Amino acid sequence: MEIADLFFYLFSVMIIGLGGVVAFSRNLLHSAFALFFVLFGVAGFYVLLGADFLAMVQIMVYAGGVCVLLIFATMLSDNISQPGKSNLSFQTVLSTVAGGGIALLLLSAFENTTWNVVAPGAMEPTTNSIGKLLLNEYILPFEVISFLLLAAMVSAIMLVKKGENS
Amino acid sequence: MSLESYLSISALLFAMGLIMFISRRNSVAILMAVELIINAAAINFVAFSRFVPSAEARLDGQVFAIFIILLAAAEAVVALAIVLALYKEKKHIQADQLVGLHG
Repeated sequence: MEIADLFFYLFSVMIIGLGGVVAFSRNLLHSAFALFFVLFGVAGFYVLLGADFLAMVQIMVYAGGVCVLLIFATMLSDNISQPGKSNLSFQTVLSTVAGGGIALLLLSAFENTTWNVVAPGAMEPTTNSIGKLLLNEYILPFEVISFLLLAAMVSAIMLVKKGENS
Repeated sequence: MSLESYLSISALLFAMGLIMFISRRNSVAILMAVELIINAAAINFVAFSRFVPSAEARLDGQVFAIFIILLAAAEAVVALAIVLALYKEKKHIQADQLVGLHG
């Protein structure tokens, strides 16, 4: 149990520290690369929570797909010759007050709530049961989301092509 | 670790995403903030499915997290396509200056 705690602190530092870099860095590319490691930290959390399949999905889809896409978009669209000015923020004080206030509210809510926690069981492989769930109980959302991904792919190609023609 | 520690980390991640979402001008940065917020929500789903599972549906939280990840991927693809199309049109992606739909 000690090693799991150690890894929890490691991943927490990774998520919070690099999340701070994502949120407050002046350079948008630094934000993008820090986001990559934040997503890895979240995948580590999933492993600690016994969600092995989900951790692999997180690394492959998020870190491997979405984050690389974000880095590409940063490099293609940003004023990359002045990276220090690409990510200027405004209303920093107001937004920090709002975010900090909501964080304090949530933390105090966690403090004052008693959850119906059951002792977590042994970690088992989840891939088999998740596959069965996806193809039995969640078959409709599964099909809808596959259609949504197809629509997103086609619409992304159309959007970018349209810009090229004009 | 207890449920509260996971929830606290996710709350802090959510707060940072919120701060970034409000304070950034760049559209890609706003997308990154949305990714942070979505990840915070997904951590909550998985943590609850580990610590407070219902007896007959132990893995529902993880299935929800998978759907969240897929939806985030679709959202990122479409939003980045829009950002690139806008960049070709306007040569900038500063969200506060994109007021073409303003009536």
